[in-house]
Amino acid sequence: MSPSHFVRKQFTWNASRKAAALVVPSLLICGMASATPPPRRQEQHFKVEAHPVVTIHNPNGTITVKAWTKAEVMVISTRASDYVEVDAEQMGNRVDVSTHAAADNVAPDDMRADYQINVPEDAELQIHDDSGEVNVANVLGDMNVETVAAGVDLEDSAGYVTIKTVGGSFQCTRCAGKLEIASISGNLRLTDIHSFHVHAQTSTGNILFSGEFLPNGIYRLKNYSGVIEVRFSPADSFDLSATSLKGKVINEAMLTPKSHQQHFYSRFGNSLFGTFNAGRAKVELTSFDGTINILKRD
Amino acid sequence: MATITCKDFLDRLESWMEGDVHSDSQAHLRNCPHCRSLVEDLKAICGEASNWRADEIEVPPRIWTYLQSHLEQEGLIRESRPAETAKATWFGGWFAALPRPALAGAYLTLLIAGAFTLSRPMNRQSNEDLWRADSRDSTMPLRAQLIAEQNSFGSFNNANPAVNASLNQNLAIVDNYIALCEKSVQEEPQNEVARDYLYQAYQQKADLLAQMTERGENNR
Repeated sequence: MSPSHFVRKQFTWNASRKAAALVVPSLLICGMASATPPPRRQEQHFKVEAHPVVTIHNPNGTITVKAWTKAEVMVISTRASDYVEVDAEQMGNRVDVSTHAAADNVAPDDMRADYQINVPEDAELQIHDDSGEVNVANVLGDMNVETVAAGVDLEDSAGYVTIKTVGGSFQCTRCAGKLEIASISGNLRLTDIHSFHVHAQTSTGNILFSGEFLPNGIYRLKNYSGVIEVRFSPADSFDLSATSLKGKVINEAMLTPKSHQQHFYSRFGNSLFGTFNAGRAKVELTSFDGTINILKRD
Repeated sequence: MATITCKDFLDRLESWMEGDVHSDSQAHLRNCPHCRSLVEDLKAICGEASNWRADEIEVPPRIWTYLQSHLEQEGLIRESRPAETAKATWFGGWFAALPRPALAGAYLTLLIAGAFTLSRPMNRQSNEDLWRADSRDSTMPLRAQLIAEQNSFGSFNNANPAVNASLNQNLAIVDNYIALCEKSVQEEPQNEVARDYLYQAYQQKADLLAQMTERGENNR
């Protein structure tokens, strides 16, 4: 072997080693990159038109929805683990957000995903969240929220709102529009309400209503046990019907008795019927075993 | 004010007893001791009848004695009989002893009113039975269906302990609620509110079982 051939071969070997030293780590990095799950915090934006619909399905976690002035939906999701996936996709003027397991037998804590979502204020919302909590603020469109154990906190709404929980509590502050709430054991707290239609029902939870009784408004609060408390102001005008089959009715309103015959079931339980001021709104309070308080608002 | 005759008053007696009070009837009653006495007797019968227990179908002898003695005191019947025999034959005895035809209408009205008020407890009893049967008929299929549904998936076990606990806890709440409502409906079958609560409790249980089934299946 000539010296030149040796040098040439040595050079080729050295060049190959150098090339390998550069290429192999690059390939490894690329390979690792393709196997790495997306970051746990993701931010996605969707351009929408007027009155978009946003649906959110999340088995466990906190969902916070706020209205903003942009014509887009922003979804920021934070996954608790890599065993859970978040899908957010747009279909026309609807944005669907959902959480699902990426593996079998995922531990409950690993299934958690939290969302922070911004929507136009006229958006319609459909939210399903089994456990965790749901907070919605300043959304004026219609909304439907269903939970098992998650509590729901709503502020400054104006649309047709339907809430259904099993054990989760519900709190509504400065809500207008139409409210229909049903729960089994959740407490329902409705404060500074400016709604013309409130239908709230819980079996063992308490119900607090503090707000205006609008003319021609209908307010039906019903529970099985627990306390129903209604706070009225001297300027309110309502026709009251309060019945507790086995519990008490405590009243601070100076009511004018009804002249016509009472409702047929007044002979059962403790009932109170009467008119406050001109009786423009209709207030029906019904409990099986609970106490009904009709108190003056401070 | 124009006054009316006893006959006119007796013609209006039934509506009077139902609360339809006219001023000329009132004026007549103020001036006529016979009609006043008759009205008092009818009110006494109604009062006694409404005090009877719902299951008291047999008319107690004291009522017959009371009626008989009152009518004898008023001179409206002449023949006095022992209470036991009077109870068996009082209807014929009284009509045989009618003092004058004008009062026949009064007695007839009294008897009809008496029969009506006496039948009220019996009607109430049968009404309650009807209500109970109606409740049973309408709730039994629901109840059976719910039990079958609950048995079909055995014990619920969701992976999320918070959901698991909430659904099981609320199912127990609804079961307790159903038991109390059923008891209440059994005690007061005509109580519409209790029935309404019972149906609502069944509805809640159906909803809850549907949610548990759905989440149980999703979890598998």
